[in-house]
Amino acid sequence: MTDSGNATSEVRDRLWEAVLDGDAHQAAAVLHRGLDAGLDKETLLLDTVGGVQEKVGLEWAANRITVAQEHAATAVNERAVTALLPPAPAADGPERGRSRGRVTVACVDGEWHAFPARLVTEVLQLRGWQVDYLGPQLPGSHLIAHLHHTRADAALLSSSLPARLPAAHAMIAACQAVGVPVMAGGRAFGLDGRYARACGADRWAPDARAAAAALEAGMAAPDPTAARQAVDDLPHLADQEYTMVVKSRPQLIERTLADLDKHLPAMELYTDVQRERTAEDYAFIVDFLATALYVDDAGLFTDFLLWTAEVLQARSVSARCLPSGLNLLARQLHDFPRATAMLRGGAAAVAARFDSDPGDTT
Amino acid sequence: MTTPSPDFSLVVTAVPDALIVEVAGDLDRGTGEKLIRTVAERLTPDTAFRRLRLDFRHLTWIDSMGLSALLMVHHHADTAGVGLRLDRRPDFLERLLDLTGTFTYLTGIPRAAGEVPDAGAG
Amino acid sequence: MDRDGGIVEANTAARALLPAAAGGDRPPEDLPDWLADAHRRMSGGLGVTRLDALSGAIGERLFEAYPTPSTDGDVVWWLIDDTERRQAEEILRSEQERAAILSEVSSTLLSSLNVAHCTEATARLAACHLADAAVLVTPAQGPCFSLTYARAGGPVTQVLRAIEPATVPGLAEALQGLPPIPTQWIDPGDIPPWAIPEGFAGPVGSVIVTPLPGRGTADGALILLRPGTARAFSESEDGFARLFAARAGAALSAARLYTEQAGITATLIRDLLPPQLGGVHGVEYAGRYRPARDDERVGGDFYDVHPGADPSRESLVVLGDVAGKGLDAAVLTGKIRNSLHTLLPLSHDHEYVLNLLNAALLRSRHSRFVTLVLASARRRGVRVRLRLTSAGHPPPLVVRGDGRVEESGTYGDLVGAMPTVSARTVETVLAPGETCLLYTDGITEARGGPLGGELYGSERLKRDLTGCAGMPAEALVERVHMLAAQWLGQGRHDDMAVVAISAPRAGPLAVVNGEGRPGKTRKRQGRSS
Repeated sequence: MTDSGNATSEVRDRLWEAVLDGDAHQAAAVLHRGLDAGLDKETLLLDTVGGVQEKVGLEWAANRITVAQEHAATAVNERAVTALLPPAPAADGPERGRSRGRVTVACVDGEWHAFPARLVTEVLQLRGWQVDYLGPQLPGSHLIAHLHHTRADAALLSSSLPARLPAAHAMIAACQAVGVPVMAGGRAFGLDGRYARACGADRWAPDARAAAAALEAGMAAPDPTAARQAVDDLPHLADQEYTMVVKSRPQLIERTLADLDKHLPAMELYTDVQRERTAEDYAFIVDFLATALYVDDAGLFTDFLLWTAEVLQARSVSARCLPSGLNLLARQLHDFPRATAMLRGGAAAVAARFDSDPGDTT
Repeated sequence: MTTPSPDFSLVVTAVPDALIVEVAGDLDRGTGEKLIRTVAERLTPDTAFRRLRLDFRHLTWIDSMGLSALLMVHHHADTAGVGLRLDRRPDFLERLLDLTGTFTYLTGIPRAAGEVPDAGAG
Repeated sequence: MDRDGGIVEANTAARALLPAAAGGDRPPEDLPDWLADAHRRMSGGLGVTRLDALSGAIGERLFEAYPTPSTDGDVVWWLIDDTERRQAEEILRSEQERAAILSEVSSTLLSSLNVAHCTEATARLAACHLADAAVLVTPAQGPCFSLTYARAGGPVTQVLRAIEPATVPGLAEALQGLPPIPTQWIDPGDIPPWAIPEGFAGPVGSVIVTPLPGRGTADGALILLRPGTARAFSESEDGFARLFAARAGAALSAARLYTEQAGITATLIRDLLPPQLGGVHGVEYAGRYRPARDDERVGGDFYDVHPGADPSRESLVVLGDVAGKGLDAAVLTGKIRNSLHTLLPLSHDHEYVLNLLNAALLRSRHSRFVTLVLASARRRGVRVRLRLTSAGHPPPLVVRGDGRVEESGTYGDLVGAMPTVSARTVETVLAPGETCLLYTDGITEARGGPLGGELYGSERLKRDLTGCAGMPAEALVERVHMLAAQWLGQGRHDDMAVVAISAPRAGPLAVVNGEGRPGKTRKRQGRSS
């Protein structure tokens, strides 16, 4: 175990160097040397390629690599995987009888991080499944048309962005309404899969191996007569707080920026670009607030805020203004008790973590 | 798919030798067709108008289908022997005409000597 | 009645109902068991003075019985004829059951537009609710039929085989859409073995054969079977089977229609879909397309890379935008792409190619025009030489190694509206890791942003691209789409297409000895240029 463990970590370190150099040839060569050293393809995919990809995300958050490097690294990793595992034959045709079954792997509408879904696809193919991989940025209508066409035994939906949970929820229900069970995976669904359950997924898998195991255990087709709407799964949506925040997003952001101008003299010195970045930060915050309202989980919002604050700190941008902005938002949403509680709680958590004045402006 | 912008309007005024159409709102697929029809109905081959002036002071946006409409309007004006003028062009229209090289074709005015966008108020 | 069950007295109606009782038998032999039992319990000294609602059959009819005990141990039994009400209730219950079955059938079948799935579900539901076993027969090619077998609670299997429909009474008629033969007329002994699912319990006792109405004609037929040990199908069950088949037939024909249409659409748009791009003669290409409408796959933007005959020749890249959206615009992009393909031999002169295309478009009756960019690319050493020509299109952007973003100086007239096209071609050179980006205005005219309604704009695009130096072509293309999508949020948008042309950073030789760090080379070149 230690031997293969050592080999795995050595391949991972080499791959990391190649990926950081943007050198796809080298990356592919590293993986092939791993094969020669006796590592199996699944280990290479999940423990080296997957491990490196995870590190890419962490390094970006810590501002040790740029967005450009992050994208380049992912592209190199993708190419290395293609070199390791040449594309499988076309998904259509008489293959069905010989494989374990046929499944569809797709990203939630609006998802750009397709790499985890790609890894799941490769692992399932290695294990004998016929997989239709539909890639990122997939409109829900295309997924449903595909399911009608292929009659998959299951649909695997990947999402890394919690802000896309409402879209994920709609896609899950749409798959089930055509009689296809859904397995959800990816960071968006929470570390323990709680949001996958909230959105009515038939299964949740923390990683590719668990996804394969769950498929091997079998997934029953959902009862198509039990068609349902979002509010049936999440009754708190009836309070319209989520709807309200989504609908008034631009106004909320604009008003918060205007209020910040009044409360924080430093804002006056901002350049247009800085202003736009600040507006984008608040756009993200409002999106996460909406998602937290959607799944009714204040923890999701607070976790996002703490992560944002850390990313800001890593880029030498102080998180000190954050609690003030959150409280200004809370003031605008005073008629909405769930939203207000989340914003106030989030402001307090950020202030406590970064030891600043919560800046309650009410 | 393309819903006409709610505040789109065409105001048509006839002066002795010119037909003036004030185009307000977004000029795109839906509204472009309205502009073409409005012009085609009034520019018969025996028309007494010498000139068609499109006034864009209140134009809010134009896309490629809107430009397509302008080309059709030019076709109708040309067939009727009427000269076309594009008055009070906003920046975005100016940029689109520049990018596509259509200004001179539409107006017969060489771009080098190009009129200032604000000229020709009526 | 007295203690021993003898009739003490009976009125006229009771005598008519139980003639033996009137005859004074003791106990009367025609007294039904259920009433005799109840009487024994009432009068058996067990102190029972009340009984729960009591009912049962006497002869063909149903009665409720109400006892009135008297002090001397006799019991007066009042019998009330309940036959009609019970029958009505029975009919109601069976109607409700059938309505529930039909509702389940509809929602199960309507949820899928997959023919195989609908067929399986129909056979399964029929076996589960209507009979002990069901066989669904649907025409396939020639003498072959698709046969779907189901047993109640058993697996559903599908096979394709040649059969002679006339061997099952009524099947040939059902497949022709002729009125079905009543179940009573079918001799179960005539059913051939192929029409009986594996594992069916015992010889066939009764059979229903009913057509599955489709579009005009029958889309298939349903055979329902019950073994000899079970009750035979009734006339009303025959009628219900027809109703079931009508629902299933409608769902199946909708699924067939959808499958046919989807197939036709897929064939028609296959040539209109954007191509997969990759490396050609030492130059990296990547392209990505997002149609205006998420339910479309094609639209008015297009791109192609036409590889040079050999590495010493230029490859021609085309990216264009036809006014309009959807399939309508896509059909015109198909024509333009074909025209440009035939003009490839002339691509050393971009302006000439544009004028030929212009003339071709003016001849066709389309009132549409197209704006496009032509880029001719050729690898020279580690660099890539480019000739760029814009025809009424946003000029390409070049992302340099040091992060500078240059707007290429090409400009020209749009194509397909004016008698001639004049255009200015510019040349540029890409060092390793540098990229030339071609895009359509769907990117820069994306409306949204944090405050909503604002244009993304070419200035913002250029600013965002400064952070993208050294990115591989495919990563850059994805990045640009992602930025535009984030800017848009949930807003509506036009077609968006992006093509990147890159000089690769690492040559195949760079892996020798793990030396030759291409990243560092790039940075040196970046600083010196």
